[in-house]
Amino acid sequence: MAMDDRTDWTTLLGDAARSGGVPAAARPAPTDMIWRVTLPDSVRSSPVLRDGTLYLACRDARLYALDAATGRERWTFDAGAPLRSTPSLSGPLLLVGTDAGELLAIDRTAGTLRWRAGLGGEIWSSAVIRDGLVYAGSTSGRFAALALETGQTRWERTLGGRISSTATIAGDLVYVGTGDGRVLALRAADGGDAWQHETGDAVAGGTAVAGGLVLAGSEDGTLRALDAATGRLRWQFQADFGIIASPSVGGETVFVASRDGFLHALRLADGTRIWRGPDMRTITAAPLAGDGFVCVQGFYGVTTAFDSATGRQLWSLSLGSSLQSTPIVTPEAVYQATDRGLIYALR
Amino acid sequence: MAADGMDRRTFMFAASLGAFSLLSWRPLSAREYDITGLDALKIDVQAPQLPATPLSMPGLFPGRVVESHHPGVLDARGRASAAAVREMLDRGMRALTGDGSAEAAWRRFFEPTDIVGLKVNPSGTPPTTTNIQLVREVIRGLNSAGVPNRNIVIYDRNSTQLEANGYHLFVPPEVRVFGLDYEWVEHGERRGGYDREIFCEMDCFGERETRSYMGWVPARMVTKIVNLPVMKEHNASGVTGCLKNLAYGSFNNVARTHVPPKTYTSPVIAVMCASAPVRTKAVLHIMDAIRAVYHSGPFAWNPEFHFEAKSILIGTDPVAMDRIELETVERKRKEVGAPSLWDRNPANLGSAADMQRTAMKNRFYRQPGHIKIASELGLGQWELDRIDHRRVQVS
Repeated sequence: MAMDDRTDWTTLLGDAARSGGVPAAARPAPTDMIWRVTLPDSVRSSPVLRDGTLYLACRDARLYALDAATGRERWTFDAGAPLRSTPSLSGPLLLVGTDAGELLAIDRTAGTLRWRAGLGGEIWSSAVIRDGLVYAGSTSGRFAALALETGQTRWERTLGGRISSTATIAGDLVYVGTGDGRVLALRAADGGDAWQHETGDAVAGGTAVAGGLVLAGSEDGTLRALDAATGRLRWQFQADFGIIASPSVGGETVFVASRDGFLHALRLADGTRIWRGPDMRTITAAPLAGDGFVCVQGFYGVTTAFDSATGRQLWSLSLGSSLQSTPIVTPEAVYQATDRGLIYALR
Repeated sequence: MAADGMDRRTFMFAASLGAFSLLSWRPLSAREYDITGLDALKIDVQAPQLPATPLSMPGLFPGRVVESHHPGVLDARGRASAAAVREMLDRGMRALTGDGSAEAAWRRFFEPTDIVGLKVNPSGTPPTTTNIQLVREVIRGLNSAGVPNRNIVIYDRNSTQLEANGYHLFVPPEVRVFGLDYEWVEHGERRGGYDREIFCEMDCFGERETRSYMGWVPARMVTKIVNLPVMKEHNASGVTGCLKNLAYGSFNNVARTHVPPKTYTSPVIAVMCASAPVRTKAVLHIMDAIRAVYHSGPFAWNPEFHFEAKSILIGTDPVAMDRIELETVERKRKEVGAPSLWDRNPANLGSAADMQRTAMKNRFYRQPGHIKIASELGLGQWELDRIDHRRVQVS
């Protein structure tokens, strides 16, 4: 099975544009199951695939490393508290947050703990890694930069409301949404304010950065595109309901799902809506923006792939309900996790 | 035999007898307890021996329902204004209690040491679940009574529905959000899940598991409950108001009580609500009627069946509140030409798809009689002419 040979998966969906972590190409509808694994509890985050290993954070407080080809367990790690954060990877390390408020750095080959650091509240977002630093926030409102090698705090801020938004980094700035309805740009070096932009409600989902824009959805139903350097509003798109899923970018198109179950494809340049998907009832997970297609997992059990340009449905699967989980689509396989802990590899 | 500190009671319900329990016996009218076609139902309840307090349902203000209405609560996109909800709740609480300030009103019910459960309704389309603005304002009210965020717990039976609606994301830091389906270990002890000592046991349709257990959060963790239902028609129970939200969101294994077209939601909902400790802990009910549902509830996928009531109902008497809700939904159905919630015409039965397509069809013979039975069990006032319905106009 061909696997991407890049080492790092430094944030939710792989990179700042949330492009998916694995170069994904449009593929026919999966028709056969390669394997299926049932974990003991719910999976409420996305699987991560690297070097033939699929990493999964489970609510049973264990991190699972499975052989992507066979589904066989390579190792598990007892995190001591439920996991709802999508893992991030950098070099030999895997980082994941726990409901006990700890950020854990784990050797991703051996499955052993390197360090742990407390952030005072549940960590539901993914850690973001760059230049030897890890950036992460928690529901306590604390947001910190830690040394990747040791977990020592370099700087820490207490921001407003809960932080469930996965940050992005571009240039010298870290972009993160807050529960009290702001998008903040912090200086990566010292955590100082570069700018902030107020929204109408909580920014629960992750930010994405592409084309000099910071993209952030809010529970006020608006996706805002902010100038990455100044925070000035460049355009906004108004959905009919709140947004808690992170946006993602494929080429010149932004994909964002609103909580009322619609996936929207917008022009990155000006936010004009290109198409809107069918009613999927509720979507809380980020869409996967592949090459020529976009794929999203709905809360009510349906995973659907659409043609990026037209919104035409390419294929659809009904494998079970999903919360905050984005599938991985490669030319060879589709990997999907459900909130009942079922993990599928399909071809 | 009941476990230590527990009480066992048996309720019998049969068409020929009306409804009775071992403690009270009052037959109901045919319409309010129409169980034609249903077998008699015996419900065994094991629950703690807890004395009623002045706050126990029907609480400090039996028979009183405050309806706080704000014509501008929804903006052009149908989004609730936080400021409007705040004013509706503040004025409604003052109208309920007669106090000069909302803070004084909240202090009547809550002390800083209370652990307060907020029983939201996350079952439905995103626009027809308990509005997050209302939840936030209730938290603010509790804070004003000195209850810290760490003592506030949002719960429902279903953790995935709670998370799909983002309650865990939108509330202030330290407020906890639990699905009753979730268990964890804390200091070596099991937490969460369901309490095996508190249950209602009945055989509705020959199901294998005949017990419904009360959740650990309402049974053991919280000292008081604020019940936050949504004004909705329910295809089995007629309405899903205070009583159903509390009962079917605090006990497990409840879907077994309704198999189309028959439903035992009445009397089961009433009996569950009458069981300690839910009966003693649910001290305040605040019904979200900002956006309501008149058909195909509780999920109501078809937005055609939503309506904007732009109101919040507040009270301590869940029976009186559900009676007002029942009349409101019934009035709306009449307005659109839909059959009554009490309809017994077999020609109006249909599939789930039919029900979602037209308000003329339903999967069940609805049984809103649980509200009257709850009244018979001492939970509140059913008679409309004895309900003190106070309207507060906010604008």
